[in-house]
Amino acid sequence: MTTINTRMGDGSPLAMSEDELRRDIDDGISQAVENASVAPLNKEEIEYLVELFKRPDRIVGVEPGKEIVLTYDAATLKIKRHALFEDRVNALAMYERLLGADTLELCHIDYSYKTLKPIVSYEQATLEQALSVTHSPMFYGAMPNLGLYTQPDGPFPNPMELLPMGRIAEGRAAYDSMVDAAVEDICFISEIMWESGADGINFDTVGASGDPDFKASLLAAEKLKAKYPDIAIEMGMAGEFVLGMHGEMWHEGVRLAGLYPLDQLKLAEKAGVTIFGPVVNTNANESVPWNLARTIAIIKPCGERATIPIHANMGMGVGAVPVTDYPPVDVVSRASKAMVELCRLDGL
Amino acid sequence: MSENIYEKASRAILEHDEELALETIKIHLDGGAEPMALMNEGFIVGISKVGDLFGSGKLFLPELMMSADVMLVASQALNESMPEGQQSGYAHVHITAATVKGDIHDIGKGIGIALFRANGFTVHDLGRDVDTDAMIDNAVKNGSKIIATSALLTTTLGEQKKLEDHLKKAGLKGQIKTMVAGAPVTPRWASRIGADIYAENAHEGVSGVINAVREG
Repeated sequence: MTTINTRMGDGSPLAMSEDELRRDIDDGISQAVENASVAPLNKEEIEYLVELFKRPDRIVGVEPGKEIVLTYDAATLKIKRHALFEDRVNALAMYERLLGADTLELCHIDYSYKTLKPIVSYEQATLEQALSVTHSPMFYGAMPNLGLYTQPDGPFPNPMELLPMGRIAEGRAAYDSMVDAAVEDICFISEIMWESGADGINFDTVGASGDPDFKASLLAAEKLKAKYPDIAIEMGMAGEFVLGMHGEMWHEGVRLAGLYPLDQLKLAEKAGVTIFGPVVNTNANESVPWNLARTIAIIKPCGERATIPIHANMGMGVGAVPVTDYPPVDVVSRASKAMVELCRLDGL
Repeated sequence: MSENIYEKASRAILEHDEELALETIKIHLDGGAEPMALMNEGFIVGISKVGDLFGSGKLFLPELMMSADVMLVASQALNESMPEGQQSGYAHVHITAATVKGDIHDIGKGIGIALFRANGFTVHDLGRDVDTDAMIDNAVKNGSKIIATSALLTTTLGEQKKLEDHLKKAGLKGQIKTMVAGAPVTPRWASRIGADIYAENAHEGVSGVINAVREG
């Protein structure tokens, strides 16, 4: 009997039989169908995944001609996690020349639009330097991070304190105020960095604070697009569904809480977003085949129905990549190949 | 088919209907039935469904909080119906809860705490980015039987091991049990560091603590 060597979602090694592999793939698909109301993968797609995991190769890749855009968000922050203390401009050049990045993102360690306001003039100068030593399209990016708008970090009452006390209306009113303030901050920074020469603006980890976070990002995209019709906006999501922290927040007649990637994409397209980054979270307690089958079932409809480029999030803890500091290349390359070849993606 | 009393109790939680919950308790107790049966077969089933729906994005935080409130009312009402000395409430069980040092993520912790409180536990919420020794000090001061920690980052996971080490060093390991939770936390990690309870979600956390309390 063939033993298939793969990983758990926390990166630990796992040996499976083919039957076990097939069972995990089927379970992952069923979970996607149940949670995200998507269609199951077809027989050919399942066989593709089985063969992919059966391959003995340590690293796999896409066939020539099927390469797609490789983009990185918050790259200058991530390089520091590996104890490479390069300054941001050099780090971006390294990503472009050594790591195959097709787009770049300049960002600050305080990776939230709100906290960038007092230092934006310094960011303009760094952007100028970064643009002068690189060639790839350069985004400027940060998180909407509505968590920073509530007490004690911000001016508004904290819904996480109000809601458990049953003060639902007050909690929701606080979220409404936070959205308005966040839209102002996102637009303030985006306008300055766009006018300073950034090739695009990245809204990263959208929805990290739930439906108000997504609402603020959609409104900011609309506002920016109205002012600068040519602006490029990338919207990368935080999780596979929008957490309902408010629960009754709507946009374009759609309730935001609980939306899965395809419905998120439709709203992003309407808001004028240029590139959309869907996310499926990795479950550390399930195998990589389980996670990958589930991820593909959820992301595939985005690739099939999008009218804008889709750059799926593939990194530690998302896109079936294990939740571990150094995701192993055997499963990262398998997940990347399958996502590109089965989901019709435009970028990773 | 008509709805039985347990299904009604479960629905009261799902629909966060306090009146229905109290009415169900009255009917159940008037019929001379065992109070805890309604809790275990009805209300806990309801709150578990709420947890599952929240986990899959089909029910949202305000509703979760409202269901937790009804759960608390139901648990208090059932407890009061039991004779002194037989009350099975958990108010005497104190839990110290925190997000570990270096980690500011507290959504999951907030949900877990709401569910613990709904089940009648006394929770001391220390917030986020909390120093290990501050957790131990708080647990000792309040007589907490459990220290529950959440870590969302692979880089902050190590703080959960640090807690185990500090408890051992202080001679408190075993007297104070530990519960670990968070996206990168797995049963394997819990076992490696010697944590007493692993919780994949808020509901599992509550069941784990209930079992730990029963075991003593």
